[in-house]
Amino acid sequence: MDDDELIAAIAGGDGDDTALRELFSRHAPWLAARLRKALPPDDVEDVLQETFIAVWQNAKTYQPRGTPAAWLWVIARNQAAMLLRKRGQPPVPLPGDVTEETGKSADPAEAVLARAELAAATQALSGADRHAEREVWRLLYVEDRPVAEVAQLTGVPEGTVKSRAHRARRLLRAALHVSHTAEGGTR
Amino acid sequence: MNIELSEITRRFGRNVAVDGVTLDVGPGVLGLLGPNGAGKTSLLRMLATILPPSSGNLTLLDRDPTKPADRREIRRRLGYLPQHLGYYPSFTVVEFVEYFALLKEVPPHLVPKAVAAAVEKVDLGPKAKAKLRTLSGGMLRRVGIAQAIVNEPQLLLFDEPTAGLDPEQRVAFRALIRDLGQTATVVVSTHLVEDVGAACSEVALMSDGKVVFRGTPEELIARGEAGQGVGDAPLERGYSAILGAARSTS
Amino acid sequence: MTAPDDVNLDRVWTNVAAEVWRRRPGRAERTATRLLRSPGLARALLTTPSLLGPWLIGSTVVLAIGALVQLGSDQPLVWLIAPAVAAVGIAYAYGPGIDPAWELACSCAVSDRLVLLTRAVVVFAVNAVLGMVASLVTLGTTAGTHTAQLTFGWLIPMTAVCALTLAVAVVVKSAAAGAGAGVAAWLVVVLGRSALASTASTPGPSPVPSASAGLAAAVTDPNLYLPYLAVAACCAAVVYYITRPQRGVQ
Repeated sequence: MDDDELIAAIAGGDGDDTALRELFSRHAPWLAARLRKALPPDDVEDVLQETFIAVWQNAKTYQPRGTPAAWLWVIARNQAAMLLRKRGQPPVPLPGDVTEETGKSADPAEAVLARAELAAATQALSGADRHAEREVWRLLYVEDRPVAEVAQLTGVPEGTVKSRAHRARRLLRAALHVSHTAEGGTR
Repeated sequence: MNIELSEITRRFGRNVAVDGVTLDVGPGVLGLLGPNGAGKTSLLRMLATILPPSSGNLTLLDRDPTKPADRREIRRRLGYLPQHLGYYPSFTVVEFVEYFALLKEVPPHLVPKAVAAAVEKVDLGPKAKAKLRTLSGGMLRRVGIAQAIVNEPQLLLFDEPTAGLDPEQRVAFRALIRDLGQTATVVVSTHLVEDVGAACSEVALMSDGKVVFRGTPEELIARGEAGQGVGDAPLERGYSAILGAARSTS
Repeated sequence: MTAPDDVNLDRVWTNVAAEVWRRRPGRAERTATRLLRSPGLARALLTTPSLLGPWLIGSTVVLAIGALVQLGSDQPLVWLIAPAVAAVGIAYAYGPGIDPAWELACSCAVSDRLVLLTRAVVVFAVNAVLGMVASLVTLGTTAGTHTAQLTFGWLIPMTAVCALTLAVAVVVKSAAAGAGAGVAAWLVVVLGRSALASTASTPGPSPVPSASAGLAAAVTDPNLYLPYLAVAACCAAVVYYITRPQRGVQ
């Protein structure tokens, strides 16, 4: 059985615990290795435990797209963040997108698609006439500053900041939609 | 000393099943060998507090099993696998092990983890939610072993535990009891001599209700070489030498 | 990627399995645990064979048939059936005759005597309630001086029959033997007492048809109440004696 089928088995009716066991034996090792880069061994064990319990409880929410590894990693990362937050500890930076390092467990087509979308999106905001939107985008979303501060830095009223942000989002959405239909994919 | 027996005797009518046994056992694995009818099962039942001695003194885990409160404390720290263990056919593996964890008064919040650990330890994880009626004889025996270890007992009593297990499972069982014997007292009653050699730090040989030999497996082998034992393996020769000597003197 | 050496994946899996395999007790069990102050005793109670769904349904059906016949033909039947149904339920509640893992259960911390008492009391109570419901439903059919006895008087012989059943089942180690003995004894008493009633003339008004009054003499004759209770007490004493810890498993 492949991973998608295992997760479906876990999600179905009574819940197939032997499927969870198989999923654990396939994925726990690499998940542990990734988590270990940022967390001590005890925490890694706790996070892994909570991750697979969450998998058991939430298998129904998984949509089979051939990315079970990515799904597992997202759950693990969330569990790690929750664990640290519960303890009142500051969040630790965890390795990001699972496609970069776990090569063979990620779908190469998926990676290509992601990169194409990113390229299209950047294209949407490039060009001299988009300078204002690009500026607002960078300050507001990349650097995570509040609207008031962005208005001050760019020397325009808050209302203008907001409408520029709105335009930027519209442009990106259009670019992503085009790239989707160009690739023929449906989400 | 987890087990202290002093002149323990058990009679059933006119039959003397256990005849004046004196034995002290500490942590480790004790193999109880002997032919059928030697009194091994009766002795084990007395250690399991389900059969009182007709006479003599019995102290288990520094407690007196004739006192109800002490007996309860002993039983909380006891694991027992009888020779014939019946099963509830409609129970699953986990339900069966959990039932006895509850009867042994394992604190309820610790029960799920204790049950999972016990089931994994006997390699029945993949069958955890299977109904007992669907399991083979060897698997059922392993379920029995799991319920015996679920409360992390200090005193473990196994009566013919390897019956029905294939050689690979027997090896796994011996490894398990060696592991358990690090901290607990494990008594394994068996008529299979090879079970004893691999896992036991000490051996006691019973014949006609009496303990006729107590020592290490090596000492038993030595007796085989000295006496006129028969058998294919050194331990078997020791076993038959001592039994022969015991029968000729009785 | 392989797991790091300092991360114990087996331990992680055991903890996951503990959560995945855990059994969540229902409301009945949680209530029983609170009332009995023992999770093991509550679980033992709720796994009593004669308290499980199919059994209870069967008992209800039998009593319902009796009640329907009584309603239809004015022939009192509930008083006859209820003690027999209860006796069979008691026989299949406890003990070496019915519990395949009984020897093991005796070595557990929760006392087997306590399990016996709890199960017997609850089975009796459940059957008494079922019988009373059937009786109340058919109240209109038993008119006259014997109403109270026919409606509730069977509770006293039921106690005796159940106690006898339990005693036989425990002594003989067979649930079937206990059930057979209890039902047979009840029939003997009913037929014997009614034979006595028809040979001697019973003074006093009896608007109930004389045939059924004679047959029901086993519950309507107040002279029998004390003997019933005496039998119940004796049998209870026998059970108490047989289950004493000093006797043990034999």
